[in-house]
Amino acid sequence: MNIKEKGFFISITAISLLFGILPVANAMHIMEGYLPVGYCIAWGAICIPFLVVGYLSIKKTIAANRKSITLFAMAGAFVFVLSSLKIPSVTGSCSHMTGTGLGAILFGPAAVSILGIIVLIFQAILLAHGGLTTLGANTFSMAIAGPFVTYGIYKLCQLLKVNKYVGIFLAASIGDLFTYCVTSAELALAYPSATGGVLASALKFLAVFAPTQLPLAIIEGILTVVIIMGLETYAKPELTKIGFFGGNK
Amino acid sequence: MSTIALKGEHWDGHTHGDGINHRHHKIRHKHGEGSSIDFYAYASNIRDWNPAFKVSLSMLTLVLSIVLNNPYVSLAVIVAMGYLTIIEGGLSIQAYLSILMIPISFILLGTITIGIDFSTQPIGQYNLHLGFFYVFTSLAKLKIMFFLMLKVFAAISAMEMMSLSTPSSEIISVMQRVHVPKLFTELMNLIYRYIFILIDVNIKMRNSANSRLGFCDIKTSWYTFGKIASNLLIVSFKKANAYYDAMEARCYDGDLIFLEEDKKVTTLQIAKAAVFVSFLMLLWGFTR
Repeated sequence: MNIKEKGFFISITAISLLFGILPVANAMHIMEGYLPVGYCIAWGAICIPFLVVGYLSIKKTIAANRKSITLFAMAGAFVFVLSSLKIPSVTGSCSHMTGTGLGAILFGPAAVSILGIIVLIFQAILLAHGGLTTLGANTFSMAIAGPFVTYGIYKLCQLLKVNKYVGIFLAASIGDLFTYCVTSAELALAYPSATGGVLASALKFLAVFAPTQLPLAIIEGILTVVIIMGLETYAKPELTKIGFFGGNK
Repeated sequence: MSTIALKGEHWDGHTHGDGINHRHHKIRHKHGEGSSIDFYAYASNIRDWNPAFKVSLSMLTLVLSIVLNNPYVSLAVIVAMGYLTIIEGGLSIQAYLSILMIPISFILLGTITIGIDFSTQPIGQYNLHLGFFYVFTSLAKLKIMFFLMLKVFAAISAMEMMSLSTPSSEIISVMQRVHVPKLFTELMNLIYRYIFILIDVNIKMRNSANSRLGFCDIKTSWYTFGKIASNLLIVSFKKANAYYDAMEARCYDGDLIFLEEDKKVTTLQIAKAAVFVSFLMLLWGFTR
């Protein structure tokens, strides 16, 4: 390898490190056009059963109480706005919450799958983040896999009588990490490594995105706890209405 | 995840009032083009084209650029969509480029990850020893990387052609016409409207927190962030009730009906689109 090639290589490594250190972390939306056609369709198909369940559950709630339609819509708008808020950080960089974890804790994972796909569509249209062909993959990682894991852990912690705030912290941050792992796996399946196959490729993606995603998961956990604490202080009646306190007693 | 242009967001103290400042366009990775995309969509010169035509042209181009997976097609798509958005739509070139640059960090990180590989042996055309392992790549890999980037930009420009010229409410009405479930489009319509209300509320909360030193250090900032977020949810619930009452007062009985402008599609437009699509197919056929 001559000097020129070495220089090229070092600069590429430097760029990737630089992007790693500066957490310009978006919650890892797979970009428009990034996945081959087969994968777009396959991930979309995997999402369908979850979306149908979510759709039916929302429909049932709305049929029982017509008034809840504006509540669902507000919840969706809230998740969108929450995910677009800049998290305060030391370096002044831009990172954002996924917001779907909090949504899953408050509204249940089934409803979040539908709200999540709508939020993702708007993020693609209004923010140029994510995309329409990669909607299936993004929905699976952010609106289905993450929220379901968050909800599962949250309920598990309740069963095991873990401190509520610890439980919420664990649920939100592990859900966030899971989203990131699923996204890496989706990318790896589409672009397997020549030598090591899918697994090696997944490790590569995990490694590249880890510096931004690991701190972000912790921050997401902390902020979710802070938000829930605030809600408990100010909004007990509203939270009881959406059934948040139901399972806690 | 990128942020919306929240006007109260500048940490260095200067806040724009309620008007969106559209003059700061530098070509770089940027968080804060959100509501401007919506703004551009309303300001576009090709807004009076038939929305169904624009959406289907953009989707068809998007799908073609991914299915055909050909660098020449990608280039043609980038040029054509840029032409539609900038020349026909009248969007400034800086604004267009800065919107295309929004996902640049993901694209760079993602494609570099695909391009390079790790191994314990010094294999591959180019490699670099990094302590325990080698990073290696080859010319073919770099070529794949480059073509992938072209394809991604083609796809983004095809999608942006739609979102920079068609307001979301029109996109939703097109979705309604292709029989997306009604509850889904209704929720979309409501969410689209509520997003801007909540953003407004958030800006006001943020400004008032900021003026009370709510962001003086990192710990306070996180508390403030959490409190703003939880208050935002409370406010949104209260508003949800009020909006339902307002809807009911206007004879809402389960159907949301919005006024739609009737925009005709001309034969010339369809002919041009057909020529463009067949040109893409031919280009693909010749350069396969």
